[in-house]
Amino acid sequence: MKNSLWVEKYRPTIIKDVIGNEEAKTLFVEWLENKRPTRKAVLLYGPPGVGKTTLVNAAANEYKFRIIEMNASDTRSEKAVTRIADPATSFTGLDKFSSEIKGNMLFMDEVDGIAGNEDRGGVNAIIKIIENTRVPIIMAANDCDLEKLRSLKKLCLLIRFQQTRIPLIILALKKICEQEHIKYEFEALENIATKSQGDVRSAINDLQGLSEEGKTLTEQDTLALGLRNKDISMDDTLQGYFASKNLTEAVILLNSSNVEYDDLLMAISDNIPRRYADPFKLAEAYDYLSQADVFRGRVGVENWHLLKYVYNNLAQAAAVDPESYKSFEFISPPIRVITLFWTKNKRTLLANICTKIGAQCHISKYEAKMIFIPYLRLMLQQKKKAPALIEWLKLTPEEVTFLASLKMF
Amino acid sequence: MVILNKKGFKLPRVEKEKFITLIRLGLEYDGQKMLFSVKSYNNINQLRNTLQDILKSEIAFTQTCTVCNVDFNCSTCKYVKACPTKDLPFSCVCNQCLRPKKNLQQQTLF
Ligand SMILES: Nc1ncnc2c1ncn2[C@@H]1O[C@H](COP(=O)(O)OP(=O)(O)OP(=O)(O)O)[C@@H](O)[C@H]1O
Ligand SMILES: [Mg+2]
Ligand SMILES: [Zn+2]
Ligand SMILES: [Zn+2]
Repeated sequence: MKNSLWVEKYRPTIIKDVIGNEEAKTLFVEWLENKRPTRKAVLLYGPPGVGKTTLVNAAANEYKFRIIEMNASDTRSEKAVTRIADPATSFTGLDKFSSEIKGNMLFMDEVDGIAGNEDRGGVNAIIKIIENTRVPIIMAANDCDLEKLRSLKKLCLLIRFQQTRIPLIILALKKICEQEHIKYEFEALENIATKSQGDVRSAINDLQGLSEEGKTLTEQDTLALGLRNKDISMDDTLQGYFASKNLTEAVILLNSSNVEYDDLLMAISDNIPRRYADPFKLAEAYDYLSQADVFRGRVGVENWHLLKYVYNNLAQAAAVDPESYKSFEFISPPIRVITLFWTKNKRTLLANICTKIGAQCHISKYEAKMIFIPYLRLMLQQKKKAPALIEWLKLTPEEVTFLASLKMF
Repeated sequence: MVILNKKGFKLPRVEKEKFITLIRLGLEYDGQKMLFSVKSYNNINQLRNTLQDILKSEIAFTQTCTVCNVDFNCSTCKYVKACPTKDLPFSCVCNQCLRPKKNLQQQTLF
């Protein structure tokens, strides 16, 4: 277990361990216990990384519900709809159950993937399911998606999640440190928690990224963690990055951006020739970039602590020759998977697929993502070719569905 | 600053329209005890604004410590400036539970 992601390792399995949002938790439990039977469906909404998915799984575990997960493609199949409406999976009050598994619950996580204005069919299918269901239906989404879900909202009990409070996050981090035998300065945890902006997932990821076995996690270690700005754009990031006056400035800038590492690495590689007119400086910068690339390849899903070397090398590339900076227009690659605002789960999923492609095709993960993924997505739509391809790349069903649901621009 | 206990607080008489707004925003009213309490938290920010309007003062709700159950309020919190959900919602960790100070006796014993 040493190399696992802490967010997975410490994902609460009982409701009590899900920190914060007490009111939302209470409301959800009351609904599950049938004390609020007015609505057949609930929609949990709120910012990322606060425990929406975790709460549903913990509740299912505690109340002995079997979770039936449904996603985008499922909702369109008539079979799935009838299966859900089947009386065999009927929604009975908890007290009426005696067996170990009390019943099924239907969970549609990240419904923003399904629903949208451009996707009336998807929304209508869900509405139909809710109208016919005899099992409890739970949906989760980020608040930014609510607008799209207007017609759905009317049918649901809405449960709002808010950012998790700093003291609650500190306590959670403290617990993890104790279990991982990591010594820490209290101020370090304060910094991580404060800078997470209420996102428990990113706080735990930062903790894992910053701590090293056998070393005390100091306040100093956490200083580079900039304020996470969820809306900082790629352009703003590049702007600040290329204009950095020294290494520290570049490090801080990179740490404060929430742009995904891979996208950043690609965009920097694309634009760096425009930054350095002097071929020797450019060569030097490229050297750092390739170092960053090497470390990025080794980060995978396990070695998050290597991320700081990715960042450091990227920062070095920006600081090769600060004096020569003149502003310039950025180019962005033509096809690109939108990952900037993804949750870590989704990004990990994509990273895993890219690793598989990379291994089979002997190309880097970035090439896989840039060149291969768009085609793979198209090829998977061809019924005849898909099975062989899936077999060859050893894609899991989850990954196949995920690829099918990808939005590109 | 008025500190309200979410489990029950009094309000001056309000017009019918205001009353309906309050109920719609998530308050519950117990006619017998003549006490309001917070039932739904989805519109808590608007609810707070409306209450501040009525009371003509800043308001804050009491916080309950999830560890020791003590009631306190956010003004005693070190992180209040950076807090993403100042005063709302109503559960947090009190200072003492977050960073237990050695109790006085222990400190002076040696
Ligand atoms: N309230 C919480 N208590 C304890 N751990 C949490 C909490 N929220 C998040 N985490 C940690 O972060 C991880 C991700 O949380 P989760 O998937 O539940 O977030 P989410 O709210 O569903 O986010 P998203 O909107 O991105 O789907 C969990 O595995 C867990 O380790
Ligand atoms: Mg989730
Ligand atoms: Zn306490
Ligand atoms: Zn506070």
